[in-house]
Amino acid sequence: MGRGLHEALHEALLEGLLEARSVTVEYPGVRALDRVSIVFRAGEIHAVVGENGAGKSTLMKVLSGSVRPTVGEVALAGRVTDFGQPSDALRAGIAMVHQELNLVPTLDVAENVTLGTEPRRMLGVAVDRAAQRKRAGELLALLGADLDLSREAQQLSVAEAQFVEIAKCLASEARVLIFDEPTAVLGEQEAARLLARMRALRDEGRAVIFISHHLEEVVAVADRVSVLRDGALVQEFVRADGALRDASGAAADENALAAAMVGRSLGSIYPEKGAARDGVAALRLRGFGAVGRSAEIDLEVRRGEIVGLAGLVGAGRTETAEAIVGLRASVGAVEVDGGVRAFAGVKDAMRAGVVYVSEDRKGRGLHVSLSSIANMTLPSLDRHARFGGARIDASGERAVARRWIDAFAIRCARPDAPISSLSGGNQQKFALARWLETQPRVLVIDEPTRGVDVGAKAEIYRIIADLAAKGLACVVISSELPELIGLAHRVLVMREGRLVGEVDREGLAAANCEERIVRMASGLGDMKERTA
Amino acid sequence: MTTRKSGDAFSIQRFLERWGVVVAFVLLFVASCWNQGFDFLNAENIRALLNSNAPVGILAVGMTLVIISAGIDLSVGSMVVLSAAVGLTAVNWLIGKEWSEASAVWVGVGTTLLVGLAAGSLNGALVVVGRIAPFIATLGGLAAYRSMALAIAEAGEIRSQSDALFRKFGREGIPLAWEVPGVGGVGVGGAGVEGAESTFRGLLNSGGKPLTLPYSIIVFFVVAIIAQWFLSRSRFGRHLIAVGANETAARYAGISVEWVRFRVYAVMGLLAGLAGFLQASRMNSVSTSGLGVAAELDAIAAVVIGGTSLRGGFGRVWGTVLGVLILGMITNMLTISGVSPYWQGAVKGAVIVLAVLVQRGARA
Repeated sequence: MGRGLHEALHEALLEGLLEARSVTVEYPGVRALDRVSIVFRAGEIHAVVGENGAGKSTLMKVLSGSVRPTVGEVALAGRVTDFGQPSDALRAGIAMVHQELNLVPTLDVAENVTLGTEPRRMLGVAVDRAAQRKRAGELLALLGADLDLSREAQQLSVAEAQFVEIAKCLASEARVLIFDEPTAVLGEQEAARLLARMRALRDEGRAVIFISHHLEEVVAVADRVSVLRDGALVQEFVRADGALRDASGAAADENALAAAMVGRSLGSIYPEKGAARDGVAALRLRGFGAVGRSAEIDLEVRRGEIVGLAGLVGAGRTETAEAIVGLRASVGAVEVDGGVRAFAGVKDAMRAGVVYVSEDRKGRGLHVSLSSIANMTLPSLDRHARFGGARIDASGERAVARRWIDAFAIRCARPDAPISSLSGGNQQKFALARWLETQPRVLVIDEPTRGVDVGAKAEIYRIIADLAAKGLACVVISSELPELIGLAHRVLVMREGRLVGEVDREGLAAANCEERIVRMASGLGDMKERTA
Repeated sequence: MTTRKSGDAFSIQRFLERWGVVVAFVLLFVASCWNQGFDFLNAENIRALLNSNAPVGILAVGMTLVIISAGIDLSVGSMVVLSAAVGLTAVNWLIGKEWSEASAVWVGVGTTLLVGLAAGSLNGALVVVGRIAPFIATLGGLAAYRSMALAIAEAGEIRSQSDALFRKFGREGIPLAWEVPGVGGVGVGGAGVEGAESTFRGLLNSGGKPLTLPYSIIVFFVVAIIAQWFLSRSRFGRHLIAVGANETAARYAGISVEWVRFRVYAVMGLLAGLAGFLQASRMNSVSTSGLGVAAELDAIAAVVIGGTSLRGGFGRVWGTVLGVLILGMITNMLTISGVSPYWQGAVKGAVIVLAVLVQRGARA
């Protein structure tokens, strides 16, 4: 590749490395992309943003060779390409870092990094272990990831696995790296580290394509932003003098990007905070913990109150929530409306009015292969059971699904089709609605807007705020600090399984609150005493 | 990441994934008619096809539910022989104790079903409480239950001591024709008139006698209909599909995964007992070394042909019923065409693999 690559890079710097030229993709009944022309240049971080369904994923599939455009073409270094499948694109130097990680769990880090590009010896029969480890080490060092090369992939944290995945792409000498929501599963610190590495990759002259729902990240790192809406390219922003600017030269922030995405001004995406009601705690934890993951948690959530739970990935927030509803073994006491309870399982907790909406929508929160209706009524199915469960009242089920579709403005044309056909935001609304149908008194919701586009995010915040206003006690777990700050009445911070701090309502209104939470979460010390 | 296929091929593939079993059934049916002349459409012939496949059909219906729960039950053939052996031994023992034939037989029937239920429950307990993979737990059952049956009869045959009643269930049925008194018999006092032959209306066999619908077939269809109902309309069915599709998500939705899985193995055992009883009754004996051998393979094959996903979470009983009949028709056709029984397994094997290939990716 040596010389050819240099020539190509040279050419690319002048012309643009990877180009989508008037790409249109049509599926039966849908035009997923409509004459999109974008130039991705070497040495740039180019963000592509848009709501779910705007066509981002389809565009990436076209670029990485898994979908052929109906009309239009893709050019690499000025030459028109025709990738039949992803491996063709990979050979040409276009690598995609997948949202879902594709490591082989039983192979070690070095083997995973060099998978498919193993250095050989003995006439290519044997893998050169020494060279393999050396190469993997170099690539990981390039990413600033200090990993034990002989650890098996299954022992890695999500963040570590992500770095191995990126190193794997680098091992294939990719000139174009496509990151699809790389920070979705990372905590703030890991995300920051990853963004720094993306800059380093750019500075080496690679083209970095970046898809993210986190607009503040986009504003922080992107050199160029293309906004897709309903399959069409609607606006581009370019960095100049340290800020993203639109065609007229006006500086653009997250709100400007969001407005371009939804085609209207969103105002603030967070609703007004209502007054938290006084009175008895709906949920109280005393000396509570998930065995082996968290301990000594004292927490009180009153009716109508939204309590945020912040912390880094691995701080034990999810595990604690799962222990509350009986999905994990726990120590300590749970009180609901003043009565001490110990739940044997989700159903037990549900009967007492405590429900948990999982962060992992696809794996735990929903059954993606089942219909929207079946997902909607699964926790409350007993209500539709007739003759001791021998018959389910199908029309009753449909009516319930219809009611929530209307209440939450869920875009769902066919409630009896698999729920996987819905966008992330609409799936999330069902994931929440199915538990609200059980009429809970306490809602614990984990990463309520993960993988959800801006428009639906605002709607979900509105829904949570309304529920609280009606007296529901809410615990919101999130890795997105702006979300907690914008939504919660107060935020508790967890670190290594313990509660380490609290930011009250006044604190959340202060300018430095985000920094305070980050300091507490990363163990840099509390800046204010916890209030009891 | 999936590679999209072009529109046309895509939809044909989707069609075959979903309806391939119906297409195969119709094709085979037509082929059978062509192959055997229209004799094949003869009611007697179809009755024989259904009747001989009813016991394995009952097993396959249960197996459908087990597989939808993302499990498997390899012990069904052994549960058949164990329940039949214990049940028939009970009948003989009670008759030896001078019980009336009727009471002995009815107690024997109950015993057969209970032994099946118990064996299935043990499978379920091993899977749920013992946390043993279904494949392994029921592989144990495959060996152990057969061995118990062999021990009971010292690997021989148990012959029924019931002269008439026990064999009725497996051999008799509801007549499908009714007697119409001869024309000459209609007159006053004409009951004994010479030459006034009775005639039958309805379905007759080749000898002109009324055809019966065997109880086995009725039981098979009733079991299939109830199972399909429970699968698509009941709470248990919904939970079964949820557990099979994603056990973790089911637990997070408040479903008692253990209870669901236990019940499906217990039901499988009960159905194995039912199949065992019908087989024993038909033969009026139980061959402990021969009855139910490799029945698990036929049952699993029928389920797979019927379009139920071996990964769990999706399936249909009606497909399994067609799968049973497809396997039956193939055997029939091969036998009539004079293909050596030694080669029939190869053809069946090819059909099973073909079915999986066509339906690959079929999942709601």
